Amino acid sequence: MTNISLEPIDIVRGQPYPGAPDNWKRFFTFSTDHKVIGIQYIVTSFFFFLVGGLFAMIMRGELITPEADLIDRTVYNALFTMHGSVMLFFWTFPVLVGLGNYLVPLMIGARDMAFPRLNAVSFWMIPVAGVLMMTSFLVPGGPSQSGWWAYPPVSLQNPTGNLINGQVLWILAVAISGVSSIMGAVNFVTTIFRMRTPGMTWFKTPAFVWAVLGAQLIQLYGLPALTGGAIMLLLDLTIGTSFFAPERGGNPILYQHFFWFYSHPAVYVMVLPAFGIFSEVLPVHARKPLFGYRVIAASSILITIISGTVWVHHMYASATPPWMRMFFMVTTMLVAVPSGIKVFGWVATVWGGKIRFTTPMLFALGGISNWLFAGITGIFLGSVPIDLHVHNTYFVVGHFHYVLYGAIVMGIYAAIYHWFPKMTGRMYYEGLGKLHFVLTYVGTALIFLPMHPLGLMGMPRRVASYDPEFAYWNVVASIGGFLLGLSTLPFILNMVSAWIRGEKVGNNPWRAYGLEWLTSSPPSVENYEQLPLVISGPYGYGKNQPLVSNIPNPGLTEFPESLPKSLMQETTS
Amino acid sequence: MTAERAISQAIEAQIRQQQEHDEAGNSKFGFIVFLLSESVIFLSFFAGYIAYKTTVADWYPPGVTGLETKEPLINTIVLISSSFVIYVAERYLHDQKLWGFRIFLLATMAMGSYFLFGQAVEWSSLPFSYTSGTFGGTFFLLTGFHGLHVLSGILLQAFMLGRSFVPGNYENGFFGVEATSLFWHFVDVIWIILYGLIYVWQ
Amino acid sequence: MMKLRAILTMSVYAILVTFASFWMAKQSYSWFPPEASAEGKLLDDLFSLFTGLGTFIYLGVIGPFLYSLIFHRASKYDLSDAPPIEGNTWLEIIWTAIPLALVLTLAFVSYRTYEKMSIRGPMELVHLHLPQVVESAYAEPFDSTPQQEIQNAAQSASVEQIDVTARQWAWVFHYPEQDVTSTELHLPVDRRIRFTLRSEDVLHGFYIPAFRLDQYLVPNQEIDFELTPVKTGTYRLRDSMYSGTYFAANQTDVVVQTPDEYQRWLADAATQTPSPAFNQAAYEYGQTSEPGAGSTKDKVAVRGWATIPPAPPPVVNYAPKHEPVSPPA
Repeated sequence: MTNISLEPIDIVRGQPYPGAPDNWKRFFTFSTDHKVIGIQYIVTSFFFFLVGGLFAMIMRGELITPEADLIDRTVYNALFTMHGSVMLFFWTFPVLVGLGNYLVPLMIGARDMAFPRLNAVSFWMIPVAGVLMMTSFLVPGGPSQSGWWAYPPVSLQNPTGNLINGQVLWILAVAISGVSSIMGAVNFVTTIFRMRTPGMTWFKTPAFVWAVLGAQLIQLYGLPALTGGAIMLLLDLTIGTSFFAPERGGNPILYQHFFWFYSHPAVYVMVLPAFGIFSEVLPVHARKPLFGYRVIAASSILITIISGTVWVHHMYASATPPWMRMFFMVTTMLVAVPSGIKVFGWVATVWGGKIRFTTPMLFALGGISNWLFAGITGIFLGSVPIDLHVHNTYFVVGHFHYVLYGAIVMGIYAAIYHWFPKMTGRMYYEGLGKLHFVLTYVGTALIFLPMHPLGLMGMPRRVASYDPEFAYWNVVASIGGFLLGLSTLPFILNMVSAWIRGEKVGNNPWRAYGLEWLTSSPPSVENYEQLPLVISGPYGYGKNQPLVSNIPNPGLTEFPESLPKSLMQETTS
Repeated sequence: MTAERAISQAIEAQIRQQQEHDEAGNSKFGFIVFLLSESVIFLSFFAGYIAYKTTVADWYPPGVTGLETKEPLINTIVLISSSFVIYVAERYLHDQKLWGFRIFLLATMAMGSYFLFGQAVEWSSLPFSYTSGTFGGTFFLLTGFHGLHVLSGILLQAFMLGRSFVPGNYENGFFGVEATSLFWHFVDVIWIILYGLIYVWQ
Repeated sequence: MMKLRAILTMSVYAILVTFASFWMAKQSYSWFPPEASAEGKLLDDLFSLFTGLGTFIYLGVIGPFLYSLIFHRASKYDLSDAPPIEGNTWLEIIWTAIPLALVLTLAFVSYRTYEKMSIRGPMELVHLHLPQVVESAYAEPFDSTPQQEIQNAAQSASVEQIDVTARQWAWVFHYPEQDVTSTELHLPVDRRIRFTLRSEDVLHGFYIPAFRLDQYLVPNQEIDFELTPVKTGTYRLRDSMYSGTYFAANQTDVVVQTPDEYQRWLADAATQTPSPAFNQAAYEYGQTSEPGAGSTKDKVAVRGWATIPPAPPPVVNYAPKHEPVSPPA
């Protein structure tokens, strides 16, 4: 039985044609293979993650003392603008698109994305846009200094008077990444709606796919609004229209509506896939089905819908009338319900499980604990009176970094470790992975937790200098920041060395339940020798049911020969 | 064993056929998703227009009392009619009648070009420019952005017309033409809303 | 027996969590700067409630989570699966309904607090078109029922009107009755204050942490904003909305005085002839744009980029004596 399905795949792997899975050169080509594109996305965006992190560490260096003494104020302002822009547009969005790209077709049993060439074009726009944004460091006047919000009128003030300035380059780079995202979203939505393998009904589709679908739907309805606002901003900046320029009769607040109509849901574009990752990783490493799978899956779509109605909570202080403040307070708080359902579901999943603290599991658990904290401070921020005190302070910075770093980046790390054996056929080094986790978790708490008291004390965000009363917590935060910078080193070392000479493991080292684990590692170009016919829902741990009818399922409860040594060392007594 | 393998290969072949057959369906689905997303840009511009119009004190620039509606109305009628013309062209193609398709597609292009020409004439005779307050800005933004879409529609049609001269090009389906036609209907619907907002609601 | 033990453990944990939540709720008052306005007191109470509930939820979830992580781990050679529990409808309904009820309650409590603050703030957008509606709104002392302390303050004396102007990068306060201008904000204690906020260039944020309130200043728009200081002392006014290069330096002091002291200060300031005040942004800009001996341009590690020049230092009746703070860089 087993030989039937494995034999032909091995033949495919043996052929050294350019697209073969073990030819590294394919990562530098205009490949249309979703797995190659996925890895291209992940590696490229990780490079930008390091760049954005470097900016953050320079900023933390400046903030270690109250005075503005390390770098000029303009440099600081440019750095926080670039930090935010790079981290969002060139790290978090693309890396999650990359993970989705790699995993979604495998998880739904498709051979590729619906539009492979469009997929490749979407990817290649990311490095182009990223480099374009970086070149703004070289133009006179430097990069944009208006924050990643690019609020007018500050973003319309052009000190050099040049047509080519940092702000224009910023808008163009964001626009290119936006076009890339829209094309990616069309691709994902079509793939998920129309390319699921026979038998995979909606409620047999993995939670990660649901989450990606929810996220990409947000891109489709939200991103065009930001594009509209960006076009108007660009026209104001270049040809002198007066949409947002108050001195010419424009309304700068309107830009904020355009911006946040997308950019708040954008947080869910990033956090939903992270939720999906948690939902995939926990059952595997706790050997238990995802608790309340249907509700968790559907709550992703609920979040997609509600998140489109909350944007004004970023604008409570922006001259919004009281009725708006109240309406959006209620909608904002409602988002806590589907998010809460997920957290409770995850806790119930690990409850009574057979947990192994592998690196992906640690990152997923750490991410969930951080998300719980961030979700609670999020409810604080939804309340109008509390928000009026803290909304432009470090409390908000702490809150959203807990979401973005604490939950999302941890989720991304969890995903990379969890699917690393699938992507490469080799196992990462568990010891380095755990070191990475400890550094990341401690670093996150050290840098982002002190930001909450700072905000409550009234330290505004985006300041290059501050009153001496804030010095203590800022020093702590800076130490945490440098620790986070350090934490990427074991990760890079782990990934590079494991990819080159890590232990070879079989197709399913985690004994996981899921379509992606039924194919070879790394998967062949066509993913499956034959398309799987799905007959049962995902996460069938403990049920001893086959997942598909036409491919033999490796014994999930047997002791596989391919079990990695590292897993065996994982013990509890 | 061989029997099992034969069965699974048969299923596989069936699925493959189904999926390949469906590629045009995928493209159509994807294109509709894209158009829905694209419509949000227009929606956001419309929302902006409404917000400005209801809050700005001096809506029209000095010396402007309103917009001329007669010529734009003719323009509108021409553009909307062209939607029916391109539908006829599509029907001809459906029946494999290439010449009918070409003639009606050409007619659509002519009507679209007439619309653009009418727009250009209107633009050149307006007493205000895009820098004339938020009214001037939004007027030129909306009509200009829509005009760009009309232009892309005409270019797409020209491309489809050209491809009809490639022998046998449209024998196995004509997704490109369907997409072009859908896009054209989309551009028309947007114009109807736009006309209502800018010209009717003064 | 097992069940009894489980119930006991859970009850003990629930009691501990409840105590911890109350303790945190009490503790939360100490995380803030001094409580110097009536509105701030309301906010601190609300925040304390949120902190208590937040702590309860956090510990309530993280406790079982950690318990499970510690006690439900697989042993070394145990490769079996856990029992396939896929869900529990009642549990799922409960953990949807309770959070829903909880957040709606919190929204309602927040709404009540907001009403009691009566900070007024910006009016509806349509009011821009209909000035008479705005006027009628002001006929009533409040557009909602404020807290007693605020009502008392409003009734004990007339509302104190102060015009606030923000620019890149300075604050100017104008007291229209005495026609006094100042770069430091002086306020009488226990009086209702009405600010009229204006911005000359970009968005700024009028944020006094000790008062717990923040409102943007929007160019081309006048925004009314009311609050009630209740504690004398010197606090800090910070620009909270990022406003460009010298944003971080755009701060000033807020001095809350007894009404007598306040009147004396006003009378004294009225006798001063207006003169240019010290302005940190203008000072730093002057330092960096004039090369030469003693210029910081040579000391800075990384040179800056071009910036919008700061507005000239405001010419005011009263300005505090300021030493230039921090070497500009």
